[in-house]
Amino acid sequence: MNAGTDKNNPSLVTRLVRSAVLWIVPVLAVVTIALTWFYRQSTYKLFDDPLENAITDLIAAVETNDNTGSDLFLTREPIDPRYQRALSGRYWMIGRYQADGTLLPVQASRSLSGETLNLPIAVRKAIDNKSQSEFRTTAEGPDADEPLRVLARSVILPNGDPVIMLAGADIRDAQRDVRRFAAIAGGLMLLLSAGLVFAVFWQVRLGLKPIFALREKVVDVREGKANRVDGTYPSEIAPLAGELNSLIDHNRDIVERARTHVANLAHGLKTPIAVLQNEAESSRSGLSDIVLRQTKTMKHQVDHHLERARAAARGQVIGVSTPIDDTVTPLARTLERIYRDKDIDFDIQIAPGLMFRGEKRDLEEMVGNLLDNACKWTKARVLVTAEPLEGDESQLTLRVEDDGPGLEKDQYEEALKRGARLDEATPGTGFGLPIVDDLARAYKGSLKLGRSDLGGLSITLTLPGRL
Amino acid sequence: MRILVVEDDPDLSRQLAEALKDTGYAVDVADNGEDGHFMGDTEPYDAVVLDLGLPIIDGISVLQKWRADGKSFPVLILTARDQWSEKVSGFDAGADDYLTKPFHTEELLARLRALLRRAAGHTTDSIEIGGLHVDNRAARCFVDGMPIKLTSHEFRLLSYMAMHKGRVISRTELVEHIYDQDFDRDSNTIEVFVGRLRRKIGTDRIETVRGLGYRLIDPDNAPQKK
Repeated sequence: MNAGTDKNNPSLVTRLVRSAVLWIVPVLAVVTIALTWFYRQSTYKLFDDPLENAITDLIAAVETNDNTGSDLFLTREPIDPRYQRALSGRYWMIGRYQADGTLLPVQASRSLSGETLNLPIAVRKAIDNKSQSEFRTTAEGPDADEPLRVLARSVILPNGDPVIMLAGADIRDAQRDVRRFAAIAGGLMLLLSAGLVFAVFWQVRLGLKPIFALREKVVDVREGKANRVDGTYPSEIAPLAGELNSLIDHNRDIVERARTHVANLAHGLKTPIAVLQNEAESSRSGLSDIVLRQTKTMKHQVDHHLERARAAARGQVIGVSTPIDDTVTPLARTLERIYRDKDIDFDIQIAPGLMFRGEKRDLEEMVGNLLDNACKWTKARVLVTAEPLEGDESQLTLRVEDDGPGLEKDQYEEALKRGARLDEATPGTGFGLPIVDDLARAYKGSLKLGRSDLGGLSITLTLPGRL
Repeated sequence: MRILVVEDDPDLSRQLAEALKDTGYAVDVADNGEDGHFMGDTEPYDAVVLDLGLPIIDGISVLQKWRADGKSFPVLILTARDQWSEKVSGFDAGADDYLTKPFHTEELLARLRALLRRAAGHTTDSIEIGGLHVDNRAARCFVDGMPIKLTSHEFRLLSYMAMHKGRVISRTELVEHIYDQDFDRDSNTIEVFVGRLRRKIGTDRIETVRGLGYRLIDPDNAPQKK
């Protein structure tokens, strides 16, 4: 019976949404990074063709001159005018590695304005190892904070002289593009993640809807608003609904059987008790006195245990409700016959469709005893009204009034005391009103005595109900 | 007055029969629903005491069958079941009263008397006809205040005639209502009883209507014989 929610056992919705977030966010982050990387690569590729051309031009134009001091010269420079304009963003250079590892320019584009381009150490090492002759890399440009895309090729001149030919292009604009692309892609991915998580949340809610519906139904059954878990459910939880119904039926069965057993035992004892009692009454002797006393005790025991069995079973059956109308009308008809000498006029006013959330036999006991009491005292009129409690639809009030003598206020408490009899002359067990009071309490209701407008007693029951 | 007791417990059945006979009723007993139904169907009982938990056919069904066949004798249900739902179904089946076990014999007799007098249209247990006083509660009879000693058969005869005072009652009807099933039914014995009764309460109180039967009358108010 100890089922509840706790932090270590989060709700299904939380679990499903959480696990969705756990894969959606990393995947989209990776996708963003990958997209940005590819974009950057393709953007940088755009620079490579012109740089390649420049290097090809340089290789084609370079000549060695053994006669002059200057060891090499170009027959023709690359034609792009940007190579002529200082710090234009396009550069070329032919250099030679010095012993100290720096690159000494031999020929350079005018745009370099006398500055030199330096390659990463890794490039030099590769050239020394002769493992690679062509490089695509980045380098610092002549201008302040000017990253360059650089194409470099190590070339052996016809005279056996190794030189490095470089062509570079300013990639600041491209980098800005890539950054913008990354920002936009990241933003869109963020939006997409939010959308996906939201969609997952709704999907989960929608998917779990039958479970929530089932939960509502079970609550209804528990509260007596429904007799069974009805409706159709998806194939995954339909067996659960079926099992619940079986459980409800089983519960009803067990309670019913237990009650029947006790009732059978008690009722089975009543006839022997009646026989003993009658026999003892008809023959007055010492023995008969003992038998009379003992049968009286037995009778009390039987009544007591019968009542206990009924009380124990009370409220145990779940999901039961009883129409008020169907209970009051037959009882009134019966009491009309029991008290036919009195010619009682029953006035029954019951809100249509009003139900008592509890068992029929308990309602019958309550109403039967109230009506019996009213009929016992009334002169001619008994009024029964039942309606939902004002302001609380889950309760109902059932009032029985008569035009008899009624009770004084100080007698009310006495009337509800078990075994008390305010009417020593009128026949009856004297158990009527206390039984009603007990039953009403068992249903967390109440019984209130008062004076009726008809002149007699007015008894108001407040019980769990529904329309 | 002839009563049928349908009760399956032999001890209770015997007690009831004894108590009823002591009170001045003719009593037949059935110990199961089938016999009970048959007897109620074929014999003209004045009232029936019916248990509900009967072998073969249950009491409610027996009662429903009788009512469906137009039997209108008053039926008092005697049962261990004391829930209202059972009372409702008992009365709906056509019961006239309902008594739960264990009960006091006095209460049963009082209820039965009430049923009988209601069926005959009387409002009290004692009937007065011109100085003749029949007390059904105590099974006693007085003429002008003097107690008269009657045998149980004589009282039954008088009580039945008093219940239906002023009406001509045939010998057959008297036989059917004052003798139980086992009695040797010779309608001539009725004449003997009527003769004895006349001697005890006064000859002119019981009028013989030739070819029809007897009538209990007030001798001072009687229509003059031609």
